[in-house]
Amino acid sequence: MVKPLRDLHDVELAALSAAGGRREFGELVRRHSPAVRGLLRRMGAQPALADDVAQDAFLLAFEKCAEFRGEGTFGAWIKRIAARLYLKRRSKDARYVAEVENDDVAPNVDSVGRMDLDEAMKGLTEPERLCVSLCHGAGLSHPEIAAAINLPLGTVKSHVKRGLDKLRARLQPEPVAHGSASHVG
Amino acid sequence: MSVDEFDPAIERLFARAPAFADSAQFEADLAAKLNKSSRFRTMALSVAGLVGGVIAVREVLSVDFNFASSSSSASAGAQSAGQGLTMAGVDGAQAVQSMLDRLGVAGMDLGSMGGMQLFWATAGLLVALLAAGVVKLSQEI
Repeated sequence: MVKPLRDLHDVELAALSAAGGRREFGELVRRHSPAVRGLLRRMGAQPALADDVAQDAFLLAFEKCAEFRGEGTFGAWIKRIAARLYLKRRSKDARYVAEVENDDVAPNVDSVGRMDLDEAMKGLTEPERLCVSLCHGAGLSHPEIAAAINLPLGTVKSHVKRGLDKLRARLQPEPVAHGSASHVG
Repeated sequence: MSVDEFDPAIERLFARAPAFADSAQFEADLAAKLNKSSRFRTMALSVAGLVGGVIAVREVLSVDFNFASSSSSASAGAQSAGQGLTMAGVDGAQAVQSMLDRLGVAGMDLGSMGGMQLFWATAGLLVALLAAGVVKLSQEI
């Protein structure tokens, strides 16, 4: 009995896709395209460019599906492909490692001062954004990031650390100081 | 939340895929691109196969004629029972030739190039295309 596509594991779908199965690959796209598109936007790509790169990444993944053997997850594999494609695309336009601080814009926050990840990422500089996204979004190691964006390893580590510090501050704002007043009296 | 606990939390946040309202459109666009590239590849392979096939048939035909005539001579020299087989080979070759004539392929004038020249030119073109494809693929990754 043939299992429905939604019941198949990613590895099975990838194997069927490698044999030319477009429906099976379509299921992989359905499962993983939101994550890939989200990652590219978090890396700083404009929505149109992010979608364009995401499509190219999936087209390339379809060609190379036979190379995916399930050592890691399909999601991690396709995200790495997309991240590298995006870096390549960007490097054609300009050096993206310029140390330009983002403009300070008022972030959208909820009623208790928290913001979501996408909003918090906007507070990072471009290199910090790239390094944090590549590290925590695409799963690249620090040396891999350093090689991919042509920066010294120490600089990459600094960007990741500073970026995480900023994210932590933005995602978990310091509680309002209410202790001192309550203890009075 | 401590600093040590923060990284896994970030990873969980990154792992949470955002929802896109246009996901269906994205998937449809991608499927269309896949179909388009597949059609192009099929067409290119078909054309390449057709051209290669025509050239191969022409070459085989000419080889057959030489073979047939040489084996005819050999058979004539031997004056043995192999003559019948040789004649059958000649008849077969003539039948293929006449069929190609009817199709207008055998008499096709492919410019001023000879069969072998055309073969090597096509082979060179295919190799160049293959090399360009490999270069492009290597640039993608």
